[in-house]
Amino acid sequence: MIRNLDDIQLTKRVAEGDERALYQLYNKYSSAIYGVILRMCRDEDQAKDLLQETFVKIWKNIDGYDPEKGRFYTWAYRIARNTVLNSIRKQKNLIQTEDLGVYTNTEAEENPKDFTVLEGSLAQLEPHHQRAITLVYYMGHTHHEAHKVMDIPLGTFKSYIRQALKQLKAIYGRELILVWSFFEMMI
Amino acid sequence: MMEKKRIVEEGLLEQYLIGDLPLDQQLEVEQLLEKDASLRKEYEQMEASFEALAFEQSITPPSEVKDQLKTVIEKKSSNTYQKFAFPIAAGLALLFGFSTFWMFTKWQSTETDLRNLQNQTSSLQSRIQSIEDSYQTVNANLENINNGQVIPVVLYGNQKAPGSRVVAYVNHDQKIVFVNPETLPPLPADKTYQMWSDVEGEMIDMGLLDSKKNLIELKYIEAAESLNITIEPAGGNDHPTVSELVSYVTL
Repeated sequence: MIRNLDDIQLTKRVAEGDERALYQLYNKYSSAIYGVILRMCRDEDQAKDLLQETFVKIWKNIDGYDPEKGRFYTWAYRIARNTVLNSIRKQKNLIQTEDLGVYTNTEAEENPKDFTVLEGSLAQLEPHHQRAITLVYYMGHTHHEAHKVMDIPLGTFKSYIRQALKQLKAIYGRELILVWSFFEMMI
Repeated sequence: MMEKKRIVEEGLLEQYLIGDLPLDQQLEVEQLLEKDASLRKEYEQMEASFEALAFEQSITPPSEVKDQLKTVIEKKSSNTYQKFAFPIAAGLALLFGFSTFWMFTKWQSTETDLRNLQNQTSSLQSRIQSIEDSYQTVNANLENINNGQVIPVVLYGNQKAPGSRVVAYVNHDQKIVFVNPETLPPLPADKTYQMWSDVEGEMIDMGLLDSKKNLIELKYIEAAESLNITIEPAGGNDHPTVSELVSYVTL
């Protein structure tokens, strides 16, 4: 909770034009966001540019962040996700799916590089839950795209996500205090 | 309004979390989150898990990204200052315009003042000149009547000019005569006072007396025995009209 209050203060300062507050948010969240961006675009040079672009957008659009509606990370994640998806859409030779997603049904997760390997609590999930979470959170798929990638009905896919989150909640329920203490130490 | 059950079952909360809902559904979820505390709590837990997951999967970006970000942000900030540059410049120009106008007005007013001062100075100069001239005259007159060689003679008026006292200043050395006829009573326009010297019984014209003046130089006549004033027709007479004698004095 203290961490969230810190974030609210920092975002207020960013809104007032305090660059140092932006750099503090960067120090805190850039690695989490970079993990998402790199896994989505699978290209380090591009990922670096997109991380920078994401924080420039955060700087310019901070007025659009409402702490009442959710965490700073969630808001920043959405910006990062959209930034990556827009960038991928602009790339040539892209084959769009019917619902304007950015991947075809089959090419999305083939031959992932080392940096796409998922760790920690996610690795404790069952493989199909792990894959569902990865497709949506770390590859930028919509639910409508992801169920096609996994070749399962949409309803089944959604229940995979729901179950996966429930399991993660249970895992974090056990680890939460430890993890947050660790973050506090980092900050 | 979406039912809470539907939101949960259809996984709309999960889609909302990652920003994957169309705007209308996004707004409906937000409205329900505001109203429903239990749904709100569920969403907060989901966010917490989502964030914790992200930190678990975090990858430290190269330090150059932050350096580049700083360059971009600081450039944008300086651009922000540039945005203000025009209004500031315009403001300064306006201020400069006003001050120039004010200075011009002041200058014009100063010019007028200067012209007035110059006129006054010129007027004062001519007055000084006039006073100097008067002073010279008065001084000269004083010189003529107030030195050791001058003999002042008084001619008292008879019944034709009662109470008048004409003073004649006679300088035998320099052979000049000055007369002050101020006290003579005024005459009609066709008459004038005239002064005569008596030399061996013959009256010789010395000149006309204008009673409006305070000192008149007349002709000096050698060996004059007396001075006489008569009233004559305007312009003067060749011979004195003895019956119109106003005053005389023996020298």
